[in-house]
Amino acid sequence: MSRILACIDASTYATSVVDLAAWAAKGLGVDVELLHIVQRKDAIAARHDHSGAIGLGVKSELLEELTRIEEAAGRLAIEEGRILLDAGIERLKGHGVTVSSMHLHGGIVETIVEREADAGLLVIGKRGASGQFAMEHIGSKVERVVRASDKPVLIAPREFKQTPRSVVIAYDDSAAATRAVAMVAASPLFSGLPVHLVSAGVREPDGHDILARAAEPLRMAGFSVDTFVDEGKPEQVIPDYLMANADSILVMGAYGHSPLRTLIVGSTTTTMIRTVHVPVLLVR
Amino acid sequence: MTSITSIKQDWLSNPKGDALAGIVVALALIPEAIGFSIIAGVDPSVGLFASFSIAVIISLVGGRPGMISASTAAIAVLVLPLIRDHGVEYLFAATILMGIIQAIAGFLKLDLLMQYVSRSVITGFVNALAILIFIAQLPQLTNVGWETYAMVAVGLAIIYLFPRLTKAVPSPLVAIVILTAVSIYAGIKVNTVGDMGKLPSSLPSFWIPQVPFTLDTLRIIFPFSLTMAAVGLLESMMTAQIVDDLTDTPSNKRREMKGQGIANFLTGFLGGMGGCAMIGQSVINIKSGGSTRLSTFVSGVFLLFLIVVLGPLVARIPMPALVAVMIMVSIGTFSWGSIKNLRSHPWQSSVVMLVTVLVVVSTHDLAQGVVAGVVLSGLFFASKVKRLFDVSSELSGDGKTRTYRVSGQVFFASSERFADAFDFKEVLDSVVIDVSAAHFWDISAVGSLDKAILKFRREGTHVDVLGLNQASATMVDRFAIHDKPGAEAALGAH
Repeated sequence: MSRILACIDASTYATSVVDLAAWAAKGLGVDVELLHIVQRKDAIAARHDHSGAIGLGVKSELLEELTRIEEAAGRLAIEEGRILLDAGIERLKGHGVTVSSMHLHGGIVETIVEREADAGLLVIGKRGASGQFAMEHIGSKVERVVRASDKPVLIAPREFKQTPRSVVIAYDDSAAATRAVAMVAASPLFSGLPVHLVSAGVREPDGHDILARAAEPLRMAGFSVDTFVDEGKPEQVIPDYLMANADSILVMGAYGHSPLRTLIVGSTTTTMIRTVHVPVLLVR
Repeated sequence: MTSITSIKQDWLSNPKGDALAGIVVALALIPEAIGFSIIAGVDPSVGLFASFSIAVIISLVGGRPGMISASTAAIAVLVLPLIRDHGVEYLFAATILMGIIQAIAGFLKLDLLMQYVSRSVITGFVNALAILIFIAQLPQLTNVGWETYAMVAVGLAIIYLFPRLTKAVPSPLVAIVILTAVSIYAGIKVNTVGDMGKLPSSLPSFWIPQVPFTLDTLRIIFPFSLTMAAVGLLESMMTAQIVDDLTDTPSNKRREMKGQGIANFLTGFLGGMGGCAMIGQSVINIKSGGSTRLSTFVSGVFLLFLIVVLGPLVARIPMPALVAVMIMVSIGTFSWGSIKNLRSHPWQSSVVMLVTVLVVVSTHDLAQGVVAGVVLSGLFFASKVKRLFDVSSELSGDGKTRTYRVSGQVFFASSERFADAFDFKEVLDSVVIDVSAAHFWDISAVGSLDKAILKFRREGTHVDVLGLNQASATMVDRFAIHDKPGAEAALGAH
């Protein structure tokens, strides 16, 4: 596996992103690239001038003023980003991980997608700096990143205190879920950890059949596998299950539905990321 | 996935700022739509419906979020003869055809032509447009009483001084409201919008222009449609560039061209005149905090609301108030820095700018001005590059061979100097023309090399051409006579 791309911003999630990346890097024996993206402040929205009067030299004056606003904010953002990156690097080095850093301008989603090309795993926080106060909400950019990315994405909870002791796989018999199982079976990151295969929203006998089949590759790879089936809604069953197993990591296939459907009915994936308080590994 | 993301980005990234900016812009659209309907000789409803329809459609299909398009001065000044000679139905038909031409231009990728329009031409265009807008206000300012001048002056004073008090409300709106209230209350005798023609009282409806569908009709409207399309696209592309610069975001120019086409095509069916992007109003939009499609959309919808719901009030707005707003737009559009730059910029670029302005002001056709400016800047460029050319020569020790070394750019403008550089009177056995440091750009250059070689040979001098580099070689291989087998046989070896 190639290196891990860990994306941090000024939110409280930065620390847990760094710690989670360190855990994954050590488990996989790879390097970490720490990425911070400087976003442009929208100077046009920042001005409060509804006078609508345009006078002599308005175009050059306006251009000058917009540039000035963005320049000042940009300098500050760059400075903040440097501090964040330095702190992250220190912390990763403390974990004994080899780390490089990347400080870029641009859109969050576009830049992450650009940088993940030579990474094997992406680590991001559940919410960005702009979503600080919207508790229990998944950052709008996180969902966009996950949808746009074709790498596995590890989503950090607000607090990542202990390394996972078990793996919970939310299994729904989809292609993405099958890939998630295959990934767990193959990855050195999870070797030695007990695996819980959880299926929700299916009837008991069918569910057990499905899980028995899904467990096979894991057992072949030497994992000890527990299965758990519940007829309730996945959005409730899985978070409940994780409450009881708070020291685990959730692995699941990501975003089965089209964005249009998601817009109308919402997405199970999003709900799940929102409600659980453990690291989530999404596999496309 | 990306589409939903970009839809959000294009529409909802700054809804409050966009909505407010849209409202400010709508107020600045009214004077232009009404004023230039009057100048074109049609009812204000034609311009107002066009502004509504173009703004709303372009917000959906345009390629430059945050740019304002509506019924504009640039188009209105073109159509006056069409309406005068043939009537307003022909204007609607011409607008539809204009849209078709613009969409085709978009598919033909004609936006690439914009790279031949130099900065001086753009400045000239912008200045000419500002002057056109200003000149168009003059009829309202001639043969009128002192009240009109006073109101215009007060209007301008409010527009420019009120923002010092507060920037929370659009000062053009304040000017219009105060002047309207005063003129109604004091019964001042000045022209009002209602005096200028009928305002719409209903929503625009689908309407097929009542023109005969014959070749004759096409013959009448096509020249107008073509000019309207060209001017509309030029102003739109230039405005898009200005908005690109101000927002520091890219735009899709080709999509904008097609979008302008769709907007005008549909507007023709709604009983509107053609339009395009507006420099002044787009700057107002950005300045007021608008930067997405939403602000353009809001400006169109709010405009319709104003004219349909507040129509009776709009009819009582005194013309001097609108004139004041248009003078502001004209001042804001004009590139004042260009006057200062006349002294510091190279004289050629100043001449290009001034010629563009003069041609537009004398023809009232922005397209002609741009063509003149582009041709002139091309000529100036050629005359600059032709100086990058030099021929030196030296005689061999025995005095029988002269080597000419040609360096630099040889093309139509420098080919005459190229031919003059050789001394055919000198008696020599052989001549070497070393062109390894030269570029032969076109058939004129190749032709003059040919001519020189033939002339030397007629004097009995043997000619060797050295080092035709790759660029020159292709041109020579394809066009020259002396290199072709037939020519060689006919003229003898050299």
